[in-house]
Amino acid sequence: MSVAVDKAPGGRKRRWLSPSFAIGAVLSLAVVAMALVSYLWTPHSPTQMAILKRLQGPSAANWFGTDQFGRDVFSMIMVGARNSLAVGLGAVGIGMLQGTVLGLIAAVRRDGLLDHVIMRTADFTHAFPAVLTAIMMTAIAGPGMLNAVVAIGVLNLPYFARLARGAALQVWTQDFIQAARAAGLTSRQITLHHVLPNIAGILVVQATIQFALAVLAEAGLSYLGLGTQPPNPSWGRMLNEAQTFMAAQPWLAIFPGAAIALTVLGFNLLGDGLRDAIDPRLRRSR
Amino acid sequence: MIGYALRRLVALVLTLLAAALVIFLVLEVLPGDPAAVTLGLNASPEALAALHAEMGLDKPGWLRFLTWLGGLASGDLGLSYTYRVPVAQLIAERMAVTLPLAVLAMLLAVLIGMPLGVLAASRRGRIADAGVMAFAQAGLAIPNFWFGLLLVLVFAVGLGWLPANGFPGWQAGFGTALKSLAMPALALALPQAAIIARVTRSAMLDTLQEDFVRTARAKGLSEGVTLRRHALRNALIPVVTILGLQFSVLIAGAIIIENVFALPGLGRLVFQAIAQHDLIVVKDLVMLFAGLAIIVNFAVELLYGLIDPRLRQA
Repeated sequence: MSVAVDKAPGGRKRRWLSPSFAIGAVLSLAVVAMALVSYLWTPHSPTQMAILKRLQGPSAANWFGTDQFGRDVFSMIMVGARNSLAVGLGAVGIGMLQGTVLGLIAAVRRDGLLDHVIMRTADFTHAFPAVLTAIMMTAIAGPGMLNAVVAIGVLNLPYFARLARGAALQVWTQDFIQAARAAGLTSRQITLHHVLPNIAGILVVQATIQFALAVLAEAGLSYLGLGTQPPNPSWGRMLNEAQTFMAAQPWLAIFPGAAIALTVLGFNLLGDGLRDAIDPRLRRSR
Repeated sequence: MIGYALRRLVALVLTLLAAALVIFLVLEVLPGDPAAVTLGLNASPEALAALHAEMGLDKPGWLRFLTWLGGLASGDLGLSYTYRVPVAQLIAERMAVTLPLAVLAMLLAVLIGMPLGVLAASRRGRIADAGVMAFAQAGLAIPNFWFGLLLVLVFAVGLGWLPANGFPGWQAGFGTALKSLAMPALALALPQAAIIARVTRSAMLDTLQEDFVRTARAKGLSEGVTLRRHALRNALIPVVTILGLQFSVLIAGAIIIENVFALPGLGRLVFQAIAQHDLIVVKDLVMLFAGLAIIVNFAVELLYGLIDPRLRQA
């Protein structure tokens, strides 16, 4: 039996370390490391302006060149990583925590009124992409990083609610739940001790992929000026500022965009790889 | 089917009402005094009083909500505070940019994504498959506004084939106007094409395992005909679903892309409205965007019920 578990359906040995998973892990770790290192060290100050050095191309002193205020682009990208990761973590964290609770409740009360209310509300938020929520919040309260967290979090909540409910419903049909019932456990106890541990893996995998989406959404919002505000460097706003000088200084537009794309790619690949490792039946290459 | 459609229709109306209520609460009740938000801190008491009257803020909230709903239904969306023209007129003007942009992007996404998905499925596990999947990963990871900037660097700054931004208007001629929409539409289409390629591929792989595909092959149909007439046709259902579900993503993308390319569409309008604190315009536009997403979702569900009778039960 244990042999069968270790093998993929095709009989091939299950590949925990597929190349794309490895790439994803390396990229994700690199971004996290970059953000952490930026607290201790950056090549230059990310906020200090040096007008004499403005708009210089990549060099030994400024690896990614300097922007219109003479700030070091590489240092700004390093510090910008903090911002992307923080917003992603906040948004996915909020959505995952609350969404999972709601999804688990909906699964317990399946087909009851509460279930319907929770799931219809979840469907409903589909109509509000992050940028719309952020637009509303900015219109009444001005721009800010918190808007981005809430706007992206609002989208994540129903996602996790739906996922948790679906996965939990499957667990509820299993024999060991019957056994737990017979042993006199309450719905709450069963949910906490039996259902949640069984769906945690799926939730974590999805969180990785939602995290990638959150980083992407945050970049869009800060590009529009709806997210992180100056002087905090953010990748999206760097692209916005680069647009003016792009014709003569294309690197200003290339490096921050590449940082976003590689981060999103990294977490996407990591999530796909984790999913394959946890549940071979969900393999994308099927 | 009629019962199913009616039930969905009731759900549609309720969802639209709920959306309107949320938007109204956030934009008119939450700020306390929307007139004060619109005018800013230095507003004179007279101007504030005048706007109060114009926005009907002296009336109770529920009455204002009902008035707004009535206006939404009849197309009377009120007067923009900054432009001093009816919001409906503003929307109609800007729609002439946003709608063609969205349609063009959708079209490009399907034209790029579907053939790639079919190609990947028919060459499963080979180089072409890996190439398409790599394209899909890249398409999902690259922010569309950055892709837009890269397109500008290549086709406007480098080659000088296309205008970097702006929109001359349809009166400048169809070709000229289309030229201005080409790069924005392509930028908007990239992530959608990536998703469509993925969904088409996995749907094709599913249907290629079906008995009727084996039968089609067994009776001597060429591989091309089998793929097109038997496999692809059945794989269309998930693709259509994704198109519907992705619609709100497309709207969100359009808001960003219009700002990248300075296109005078709805996305740019809502943005200018925020900058000018024109809450009347913001409210109507957010409702329009959300309403469109809800209606498209409804249409997809209806289409789904039409295709698959089992779904009508739920």
